[in-house]
Amino acid sequence: MKRTLYFLTGLAFIAFLQSCSGGKKTLDLKSEEDLHGLTIATSAGNYYDDKYSSYQDITLFRVNFDADGIQAVRHGIADVFVSDEVAITPEAREKLNMRLAFRGEENFDVAFAIRKGNDALREDLNSFISTFKADGTLDAVISHWTSGTPEPEMPAPGTVTRHDEPVRCVTAVNLEPTCFLGEGGEWMGMDADILKRFAIWSGRPFQMQFLELGSAIIALNTGQCDIVSACLYVTEERKKSVDFTVPYYQCHPGYFVYNGEESSNIGLGERLKMNLVKEGRWRLIVSGLLETLKITLFAILFGTLLGAGICAMLRSRRKWVQKTANLYGAFIQGIPTLVLLLIMFYVILANAGLDGSVVAIITFALCFAWSSGNIFNSSISSVPKGQTEAGLSLGFTPLRTFTGIVFPQALKKGLPLFAGECVALLKSTSIVGYIAIQDLTRASDLIRSRTFDALIPLLVVTVLYFVLAWLIRVVLNLFLKKK
Amino acid sequence: MISIKHLSKTFKNPDGSVITVLKDVNCEIRKGEVISIIGPSGTGKSTLLRAINMLEPPTSGEIWVDGENIMAKGYRLDKMRKRMGMVFQSFNLFEHMTVLENITYAPVQLLKLSEDNAREEAMELLRKVGLAQKADVYPDSLSGGQKQRVAIARALAMHPEVILFDEPTSALDPTMVGEVLSVMRQLAKDGMTMLIVTHEMRFARDVSTRIFFMNEGIIYEDGTPEQVFGHPVHSATKAFVNRIQKLVYEIDGKDFDYLQIRTGLNQFFLKYNLSGKAENAYSIIKEMLFEHLGSIRPLTFRITYTELTGDTALDFMMEGLSESPVKDPTALDGIRSKAQAIVEEPTGRGFRIKVLI
Repeated sequence: MKRTLYFLTGLAFIAFLQSCSGGKKTLDLKSEEDLHGLTIATSAGNYYDDKYSSYQDITLFRVNFDADGIQAVRHGIADVFVSDEVAITPEAREKLNMRLAFRGEENFDVAFAIRKGNDALREDLNSFISTFKADGTLDAVISHWTSGTPEPEMPAPGTVTRHDEPVRCVTAVNLEPTCFLGEGGEWMGMDADILKRFAIWSGRPFQMQFLELGSAIIALNTGQCDIVSACLYVTEERKKSVDFTVPYYQCHPGYFVYNGEESSNIGLGERLKMNLVKEGRWRLIVSGLLETLKITLFAILFGTLLGAGICAMLRSRRKWVQKTANLYGAFIQGIPTLVLLLIMFYVILANAGLDGSVVAIITFALCFAWSSGNIFNSSISSVPKGQTEAGLSLGFTPLRTFTGIVFPQALKKGLPLFAGECVALLKSTSIVGYIAIQDLTRASDLIRSRTFDALIPLLVVTVLYFVLAWLIRVVLNLFLKKK
Repeated sequence: MISIKHLSKTFKNPDGSVITVLKDVNCEIRKGEVISIIGPSGTGKSTLLRAINMLEPPTSGEIWVDGENIMAKGYRLDKMRKRMGMVFQSFNLFEHMTVLENITYAPVQLLKLSEDNAREEAMELLRKVGLAQKADVYPDSLSGGQKQRVAIARALAMHPEVILFDEPTSALDPTMVGEVLSVMRQLAKDGMTMLIVTHEMRFARDVSTRIFFMNEGIIYEDGTPEQVFGHPVHSATKAFVNRIQKLVYEIDGKDFDYLQIRTGLNQFFLKYNLSGKAENAYSIIKEMLFEHLGSIRPLTFRITYTELTGDTALDFMMEGLSESPVKDPTALDGIRSKAQAIVEEPTGRGFRIKVLI
């Protein structure tokens, strides 16, 4: 009860902070000259990150997603948001009360990135793009998404299946009009449209996932995906690490600023509707919730089983067995869970052909095995040796002494700790977005980057995490009551 | 019933050195015997007891129980232990069970008694140890003496043929020793075969049919209480059984610290379970130190307690005097009425007044 009260107070405080922020000075920018002394928000790892990091008097505010950069400008954390000119559509600018301050001088070729040396795919994509360009479809697709002209018809799926392996695409952008998660959780936008057509053209199924740019490039290079689309500029620097297709689009940098005080505030009901109901976004939340739940529960299950093994090893009379367990613990404890997850996904299990969720379950189970094994061990150790001796002296076998006398007492001592560890595990699963799993946290990222509203999606997932944590404690406490 | 041959037990220290706790123990325990194992601490008394039910497996030797070698490979120790109860120094009641559950758990699980029968029997045992009203409380709300009585009831519930008592009163507050010993006395009277490691000499002398005096890892002397306590063969045994506990104070000024003496005496009385004599002793000491011997300084005061006989004496020793400083023969009448005897005698170096209480 008290816990719930604290939690609600915290939420109210966050909401209060949110209502206080927003509405900062307006800027009159004409050219790149005016950027000196300002803070620029941009996605980490993109061209602008590179470009402006060498300027002494320009502060960079690096974000994972463009949507966060836009929010940073709207809340006065940064002064200018820089990305492609098309990153914020005219309608979106109006909604966000932002404008294009000026357009950069540079002109960039935009292309898809593929793994270095994957020449077959590059040839395929290149010949597709040229054909596509030649018959005018490419221009029609681009103009549909940038200027609202009617969408050219999608060709019927090819009857020829060249091979069953899907075209595995990763996008680092979830923003209209480039590439975004639209109605019913389907990927839409310019890039998505082109790649879908490529998939049909090459007679293969289409697959798209969402990752930060940095992770996307790693995924590409480790063979977890085939194509990265992120409105990527073809630069000499990048050519060193990936191969590019022929360009399919040209774009200019756009420098966006906030207009200042918003005239009208959207009502809470409207905001909830926009974030949860529109385009069926609640489905993202639900599927994210199920994903989080799945990973957490399976990791707890396997982690507990492994933990029993770790506990047995820690209690072994053989010194080397104990040492092995401790070595394992030092290893697991010494590596941040996120790093371990990335190592498992991109290195150790990269070629195992496992689903991301399975890799996540394995990784978290390995971590949980150590913490739960330790809890089991210390709980059992906390039961005095005399209890075992008393059980044995009455005529119980060592096994029955353990199950009937030691274990119930250890359970009583260890369960609150175990529940805490389960909740910690639940919370740590929020990093699985880094290997392209759409869990609860990632669902909120996706919604946030579409609606430009940070509060509601974060609030909703916060409440859901809290409820899940509470449920874990309730379920585990049932074990205590049942004797 | 139990026969032990050439039993030895060694421990290895972390530094590699070897400690021999049991050297070569041989004995025969017959049905109905009540055997107390006494001896200085660290001589393997508890180890021997714990070896007999294999909680502490011996290094070598043989233990035969009812004609079976329990140290043989593959021997079902659990079967043997059902017939051999054990009562621990630290009680070891199951903390997560009520008093009643502590007693019924093993009979229900191992003897396949029905819950009802087990409960009935357990209540009977609780009445026997005087704790029927505590059936439904958890052990942590009991005093040490009560816990130990429950532990005895728990052992009895398995209907063992023999019960091993490992220093059952050593962890108890002195005021609670009596209640546990009286339960054990009753058990002995009922004919239970018992093996008791204890420091309670008088109890050992009074209830045992046999005494093992252990020293240096062997049974040094084995005999009836009359033999071991009355006519010990070995000098080590003699020294041990006639052990005298004492407390000495040198009083040299008029303004000595009486409170310090009083506190020390209080602990002494508690430790040796002599609280019944405390009141008398205090008033005698006070009267002697402040009235009759008020002007005699320096003065040595000593209290001695002979464990086996229970004799307690208060000695007042005055150096350099050749005759009693108390001239009036009726002066000590008040003290005489509280004491068993008063002895006034010159010693080599002075004069002593000894008050037996």
